[in-house]
Amino acid sequence: MSHTPFIVGSYLIALVLLGWCALAPVLQSNKLKRFILSRQLFTEEKDASDS
Amino acid sequence: MSHRTGASKAFLALVRRDLLLAFRRRSEMMQPLLFLLVVVSLFPLGVGPSPDLLGSIAPGVIWIAALLATVLSLDTLFRSDFEDGTLEQFAISGHPVTVIALAKIMVHWLVAGLPIVLLSPLLALWMNLPMDALDVLVITLLLGTPVLSLVGSIGGALTVSLKRGGQLLSLLVFPLYVPLLIIAANAVSAAVAGLPYSGQLGLMGAGLIAALTLAPFATAAALKLSLE
Amino acid sequence: MNRFMLFIHKTGSPPWFYNFSGKLLPWTWGVFLVLLVAGLYLGLVKAPPDYLQGESARIMYIHVPSAYMSMMIYALMAVMGVIGLVWHVRMAEIMMISSAPIGAIFTAIALATGSLWGRPTWGTYWVWDARLTSELVLLFLYLGVIGLYAAYDEPRKAARAAALLALVGVVNLPIIHYSVTWWNTLHQPPSLTSEGSAIHPSMLVPLLIMVVAWKFFYISNLLVRTRLRLIEQDQRKRWVHHILSGADR
Repeated sequence: MSHTPFIVGSYLIALVLLGWCALAPVLQSNKLKRFILSRQLFTEEKDASDS
Repeated sequence: MSHRTGASKAFLALVRRDLLLAFRRRSEMMQPLLFLLVVVSLFPLGVGPSPDLLGSIAPGVIWIAALLATVLSLDTLFRSDFEDGTLEQFAISGHPVTVIALAKIMVHWLVAGLPIVLLSPLLALWMNLPMDALDVLVITLLLGTPVLSLVGSIGGALTVSLKRGGQLLSLLVFPLYVPLLIIAANAVSAAVAGLPYSGQLGLMGAGLIAALTLAPFATAAALKLSLE
Repeated sequence: MNRFMLFIHKTGSPPWFYNFSGKLLPWTWGVFLVLLVAGLYLGLVKAPPDYLQGESARIMYIHVPSAYMSMMIYALMAVMGVIGLVWHVRMAEIMMISSAPIGAIFTAIALATGSLWGRPTWGTYWVWDARLTSELVLLFLYLGVIGLYAAYDEPRKAARAAALLALVGVVNLPIIHYSVTWWNTLHQPPSLTSEGSAIHPSMLVPLLIMVVAWKFFYISNLLVRTRLRLIEQDQRKRWVHHILSGADR
């Protein structure tokens, strides 16, 4: 029985899982930063129009 | 401690109160025990009634059923007192929260754990456990069910303030129960096979003492956290 | 106050921590990548196949470091939890809960690669041997901590509950490991347990390199997740707005 598919499978699983582990917080923080900035702009416009 | 009641008086008062409350809600008390009986009786239905097969898996099955039944009863350990504010009153009463936790754990064992021990001969009969191993089964349950209550109370205290605490509770305590399950089931299996089992029982006794001395502190810390 | 204590105190300040970790990250990621390439090259290209197991032993370079990290991270989580419980250090609480998913993923990798290693080596995808069973229980412990934290609404309360659970878990961990090992010796013939400790240097060196590489992955990922949580929790505070509208890091 060839061992190659098992070796490749293992390294692929590690790549996928670690890749997701590394990427997920990056993507989420980008989303969060965009949201905070947009809310910041919104409140600035609101303050400007109120005063 | 001149005008206030001592901790031991508080302990006994709480035990008496909780026992009284439990007996007033007898049907609620019965449910986990009924669950125990149902779960064990499902096994022959699932794996077939062969006496040899049942006998070989009996120690594990009985112990797993005991685990499941205990977890089922753990959610109610603190919940009703938490919801009506009584737990908070106990916590600010000035008595050590560890003593309060210990009192409730003891009642839980009397009401949910001890009946499992008393029902075990019936379970042994259903699972075709050789009768000369019955005494070992009872001893493991006597030593182990208090540990189930003690360790389980930590999970109960951590999840009492959560809305769906009950589901999470089982996930939390099962890994903690693994060593107990392994050693207890093995003790009974060893007895069935005629092998020595005193080491396992000794370990269980040590585990009981450890849980008795350590768990109430963790439970108290978790209760204080949940009450904030 | 000496410089080291001053440094420790500074890490307690979210904006300082955010800035400092931002400068640290390129370096920790860099070291990780260098070690990864070195370890993979030495392990996959230079090292010979195992005498007994053949090529499948190359899975070891992923499996063993992942299993090692899964346990190390749990211990670290418990330490950070204690610091949070006893001294109410917020940064410790955040770093503790940020470590949990990383540890869980390493545990999952250890389980999956262990399973794939088992098939060509011992003929079965799953075997209830001591290490795999302990890893499975460890995964449940991680998921419990993550789940408990997620169930609470208030972050600081959630962190304290999770820390308490992690602490109870870490006390149980050696007990679980020894009982599972003992259980395993009763039911499995010894030949199915892992190979002896004498590993040839050509295999040991890449293994050690991969372990250190995984440590740097953990540090880097931990910093990223901690920064994210800081921004999340402090999103209405001035320092966040200041940083976001200023440099974007």
